[in-house]
Amino acid sequence: MGTATATASAARFRALLDSERVMEHPLERAIYARDGSITEGKCGLVVLPQTREEVSACVRVAAELGLAIVPRGSGTGLAGGAVPFDDAVVVSLARMNRILDIDPDVPCAWVEPGVLNLDISTAVADLDLHYAPDPSSQAACSIGGNVATNSGGPHCLAYGVTAQHIMGLEMVTADGSVLELGGPAPDPPGFDLRGLSVGGEGTLGLVTKVCVRLTRNPPAVRTMLLDFDSVAEGAATVGAIVAAGVVPAAMEMMDQKMNIAVEAFVGAGLPVDAATVLLVEVDGTPAQIAAEAELVQRVGREHGAREVRVAADETERQLLWKARKSAFGAVARVAPNYYLHDCVVPRTHLVDVLEEIGAIAERHDLVIMNVFHAGDGNLHPLIAFDRRDSDQVDRVYEAGREIIAACMAVGGVLSGEHGIGVEKRDFMPLQFGEIDLAAQADARCAFDPDGLMNPLKVLPAGSRCGELTVAPDSLPPGTWL
Amino acid sequence: MSEAPRDRTELAAQLAQASADGLPVSPRGGGTHSRVGHPEGRPRSSISTTQLDALIDYTPQDLTITVEAGMSVDRLGEIADQHGQFWPQVGAGAEATVGGVLASATSGLSRLRFGPVRDSLLQVVVATGDGRLITAGGRTVKGVSGYDLPRLMTGSFGSLGVIVEVTLKLWPRLPARRWFARSGADALDVGLALLSELYRPGAVIVSGDTTHVELVGQPEDVVAPAGFTPSEAPPPPIGTGVVRVGVTPARVRELLHALGGLGVPMSTQLGVGTCLVAVESTEQIAEVRAHAQRIGGHAVVDDAPDELRIDPWGPPPAGLEIMRRLKAAFDPAGVLNPGLMPGGI
Repeated sequence: MGTATATASAARFRALLDSERVMEHPLERAIYARDGSITEGKCGLVVLPQTREEVSACVRVAAELGLAIVPRGSGTGLAGGAVPFDDAVVVSLARMNRILDIDPDVPCAWVEPGVLNLDISTAVADLDLHYAPDPSSQAACSIGGNVATNSGGPHCLAYGVTAQHIMGLEMVTADGSVLELGGPAPDPPGFDLRGLSVGGEGTLGLVTKVCVRLTRNPPAVRTMLLDFDSVAEGAATVGAIVAAGVVPAAMEMMDQKMNIAVEAFVGAGLPVDAATVLLVEVDGTPAQIAAEAELVQRVGREHGAREVRVAADETERQLLWKARKSAFGAVARVAPNYYLHDCVVPRTHLVDVLEEIGAIAERHDLVIMNVFHAGDGNLHPLIAFDRRDSDQVDRVYEAGREIIAACMAVGGVLSGEHGIGVEKRDFMPLQFGEIDLAAQADARCAFDPDGLMNPLKVLPAGSRCGELTVAPDSLPPGTWL
Repeated sequence: MSEAPRDRTELAAQLAQASADGLPVSPRGGGTHSRVGHPEGRPRSSISTTQLDALIDYTPQDLTITVEAGMSVDRLGEIADQHGQFWPQVGAGAEATVGGVLASATSGLSRLRFGPVRDSLLQVVVATGDGRLITAGGRTVKGVSGYDLPRLMTGSFGSLGVIVEVTLKLWPRLPARRWFARSGADALDVGLALLSELYRPGAVIVSGDTTHVELVGQPEDVVAPAGFTPSEAPPPPIGTGVVRVGVTPARVRELLHALGGLGVPMSTQLGVGTCLVAVESTEQIAEVRAHAQRIGGHAVVDDAPDELRIDPWGPPPAGLEIMRRLKAAFDPAGVLNPGLMPGGI
């Protein structure tokens, strides 16, 4: 390994890529020092390869010079997974954005990692197909980033998260070699490296091609908005619907603070006087949606729903979904910044955890808004704040800790769909023991023995395998949290 | 020597001892997949999970269940059924254990609708070769905290560790579910037509000259397609050995056309791309594999006596070096089914 800095090594990368695809100007580096999270790092150089061969060549040069690499898709990640530290090289895959092949007979599509999530569904709409995982950021986030974080979305309740929709991957590993893992042929022999790689947050390799499973559009769909006078009634409805044997396509909840912000932003006619609203979608055959919609409405009324609004047509349905998916953007009306957690709790503990989050907000004098995937217990408590107020920032961080502790106490997990990145890595010991984390470090080292792929992410300091020497007790100086 | 430890601590201790002594050992559930992989990779000494069969936790409203790995798949099915729920792998055979089904990645016949078995594994507790008890994943229906070791363990055939406890995602029982069948020379065409007409059937399987279809959902949706009559689930093809072929679902027609000349029993899951082929000789295995590879697929021996398992996996898969490092990390002394997996891992 060399001791060169990334910035001083720009010429080595210019020998591989056009000079406009190697960026070293301080302003450009500053842009790539952040992602969708609130963490800010330090970027040494940005490279934008356009082919697998260029990715491989960049990785080889970085390995030769001993430079750390941080893969980046659209940079919408919420856990700091794409934030570089210590002047690392950011490898943006945004320019690898071609849909390579669509095979309706599987059905699947091979796409490059920079293709945007929603663009896949748009490209196959005329085949009556779509790509099922639908994060709120689907118009902006890339499929490569989705693979890295194993993203979810409202419709993952019935259809499953990203891992269930990735049939194959092509990946450049830390030594620059190219691996093709899986594809549309099921169950290839050997250990499931494809399954292990999804959710690897860019620490196992750089994905250069993805085979996504496509899903048939349901013949019928019905979307309903139920509103309640208490969060407890809404949460009880969620549990009762599942207990009655219906797993809706999606089941989303927004509390009153969020409703007010979203309604002012989108104007979808949300009942802003309700304590909480539940957006439920059922899909399938006409017989199925008729039976399930009837059950959802009945269970809702039994649990205190004040009103059930059924979307009359596709326009109204789209409007309701626009309201749900605009939630994070709408927070800007409340405060300039937000800090978000992504814990999952067993559905049976939704009510007590939400009450606890309310108490935490009060204790720290903070505004916490809730918008989340109620059907699978995946919370998104969102703390609105102003980062210029350092006292408030301290309270935000402490409240975040307490929220996580409350979720863990009822058997929850740290992240449902955003990943661990850098922002949640030091919470990992709350979910896993030392021996568990060491096994995870071993799995990572099997792919990247020298620890150059997205270092400092996912695992807390101290849990790395023996071959790695990087073990700072805290984040690098200058890290803003 | 055959051990049947009473609990996971004892099991882990026995593995630690085996590692210390350098004595290879073969983890065993119900024994339904004991004729897989390189024969020399199956040590005579076994360590059985059958005494680890407790129900640890079940909250029906959460659709998750946590059980010890030695519980039989049928028993799990009975427990879930009492609450109107099911695990789609039920039907794996009377002997099959939950841990064995996961270790061998044996997906159920209704995979087309409910997905492969690996998608239902939420959390796993594994005893490594050197006796560490590792927990990975989480007990909630959704979670991405840390690396997906549950998927790594699924299909690892006990060569990375012994699965001792799992948390599984269950499904609510659907109002109606039934198999139908129709026989005729055009079985494949009929199956492919059904696959494109029906919305999310449980399965469409072509077995010999019979098309089998499983319908699930509302009673109105579970009615016999034209020409079909109610039937049982298709039986697996029977021969001296069975090969499992995986090809892209788009090229199943080519596969069946090529394999037709062999004149052996087979059963193909349309829309999935899995084809089970009954075989009698290593020559037949090689022929099946050649046809699969020509269209981008693979063929592995799923169940056969030692003499038919000379080349059970075919060409080494991509990432063999990474697989070797994983094996070294989870089974440092190399005592768990050493050499069973592709590449002699």
